Amino acid sequence: MSYFVFRNNTIEHLFGGKEVYYSGYDDISYIPEEIDTYIWFYQIPFKFDIEKLVDEVKSYENKFKLLYDRISKDKTVIVFTLKNLFPIQYTDDSFSLKEAFSHFNDRIIDMSRQYSNIKVIDIDNFFNGFADKDWVDWKFYFISQMGVNPKLTLLFKKWFAKKIDEIELQRKKCIVLDLDNTLWGGVLGEDGENGIKIGGDYPGNAFLYFQEALIELSKQGIILTICSKNNEEDVIEVWKKNPFIVLKQEYISAYRINWNNKADNIKELAQELNIGLDSFVFVDDNPTERELIKQMLPMVEVPEFPQQPYELPCFFKMLVDKYFCIYSITEEDKQKTKQYKENAQRVQEQNKFSDMEDYLKSLDIHITIQKANEFNISRIAQMTQKTNQFNLTTKRYTDADINNFISQGCDIYCISVADKFGDNGITGEIIINTEGHTANIDTLLLSCRILGKGIENAFLYKVLSILQNNGIDKVRAQYVPTLKNGQVKDFYDKIGFDLLKEEDGIKEYILDLKDKEFEIKSYYNIEVK
Amino acid sequence: MKERILKVMKAVFELENADETISQKNCEKWDSLNHLQLVIALEEEFDISFEPEEITEMKDFQTIESIIAHKKSM
Repeated sequence: MSYFVFRNNTIEHLFGGKEVYYSGYDDISYIPEEIDTYIWFYQIPFKFDIEKLVDEVKSYENKFKLLYDRISKDKTVIVFTLKNLFPIQYTDDSFSLKEAFSHFNDRIIDMSRQYSNIKVIDIDNFFNGFADKDWVDWKFYFISQMGVNPKLTLLFKKWFAKKIDEIELQRKKCIVLDLDNTLWGGVLGEDGENGIKIGGDYPGNAFLYFQEALIELSKQGIILTICSKNNEEDVIEVWKKNPFIVLKQEYISAYRINWNNKADNIKELAQELNIGLDSFVFVDDNPTERELIKQMLPMVEVPEFPQQPYELPCFFKMLVDKYFCIYSITEEDKQKTKQYKENAQRVQEQNKFSDMEDYLKSLDIHITIQKANEFNISRIAQMTQKTNQFNLTTKRYTDADINNFISQGCDIYCISVADKFGDNGITGEIIINTEGHTANIDTLLLSCRILGKGIENAFLYKVLSILQNNGIDKVRAQYVPTLKNGQVKDFYDKIGFDLLKEEDGIKEYILDLKDKEFEIKSYYNIEVK
Repeated sequence: MKERILKVMKAVFELENADETISQKNCEKWDSLNHLQLVIALEEEFDISFEPEEITEMKDFQTIESIIAHKKSM
């Protein structure tokens, strides 16, 4: 990853050396092309003449726009907000400087909503962690023009690396919660359904805070699950009867309440929810259980649990900061708990039918195939980052990459799937580039949530028939093995592609479209938009 | 004290080895940026604060050692 930083001050200490390049001070004339990500990091200069300073700050907005217009839209542009690190105010009612930089901050936030390749990083989020007297070290400023205290360098680098991760979306998907002394005080089996401490006075109110916080987390798209050593009936009872428990069963996508070992339980949860173990965070007050998970399932994150219930708010904040914070969330994320639950219902429904066809018919499946557009680009990029199992080539792309493909004329389709249990939203995509009469499937992926209903076949058949109508006569495709995508190893063989060669597990396919007919079962209601 | 100074230098400049002959002239990693990081790390290690005039002088091991020794004896 290479960066080019537009700046008006000495900031080399903050971003380090390797593959990071810098503009001249306040220079936007030169924009190198061979760069992955551009960064705008301006600081409010230390000047006394407020009028001039206000004018200067006001000019940044135009400068940034001028610069942005000349940067290729397939590149990410990270913009730091402006902050006054050393405000000197002679009268309480002088707001002109504050207005000027707040205006800049508002404008770039607006722009980031409009242009998906602009990502704003709020610098307050960093400086708020320190006393204001530590923001600037004047000794070092006068020696080196470093506006930001060089003593904060290491912490800044760490913080920035995390922000980059957030922009590139690397968060955990699922939290596994214990019950006794984790979601409430006391032990259900000993204290009884009215004896456990939840709500009311301390410590019950601290546990209530934690439950409410977790509900908010589930609204942000994180999957909540429970793994507890208890009698299942007792817990179902307490969920129904104890009015103080707000984290009810409806928020829990799956649970294992039994006396089995927790490592096995978590493995089962991962299978049931169809997500990788490395997307799990395990929260349990019992150090023995934590140790077991650390040893048996090293890919699962196991944070220390606080000693005292009043520490739960800070613990929760740490969970969010460390595991669950991302740059932005999409509508699909917010729907997730619901969708995973609906899936569980579908699995139960499936058991009622002996014949798969009857089952599929009964589901009333509606598939919408849509070309990529400005509203779904973020989701399309996000799926390439997150989908591991049903993913034929596992190429990871950013918003900017997808934009780039579109401008190069690639065909990108995504699908949304709804059935009688609910709408899964956009859950699959295909990226195709074409040369002459030959098409090449660069990416084909589907979210695990919609698998098991033959949708993958219907989707690909439909897309192939679209290609056929567009005059394509050959389609190339690849399978690239990863640790997680073994289940699609023979997908193209089953569809009817011819295997050209196989090397190091990578399989190359071709399909002759001439005179091919694709039979799509009538119980898939497919609409192409 | 020698060892402590060298330890800090090795950490800041990411060197395997460093001895008392090290100076800004013979150490490639000792650029102006790392110079400040060295100053900060030494201030922390010895719990002292260098004056700007001293910082500009601290260009080789010997000078650094004598400046720190002087400050510590005050």
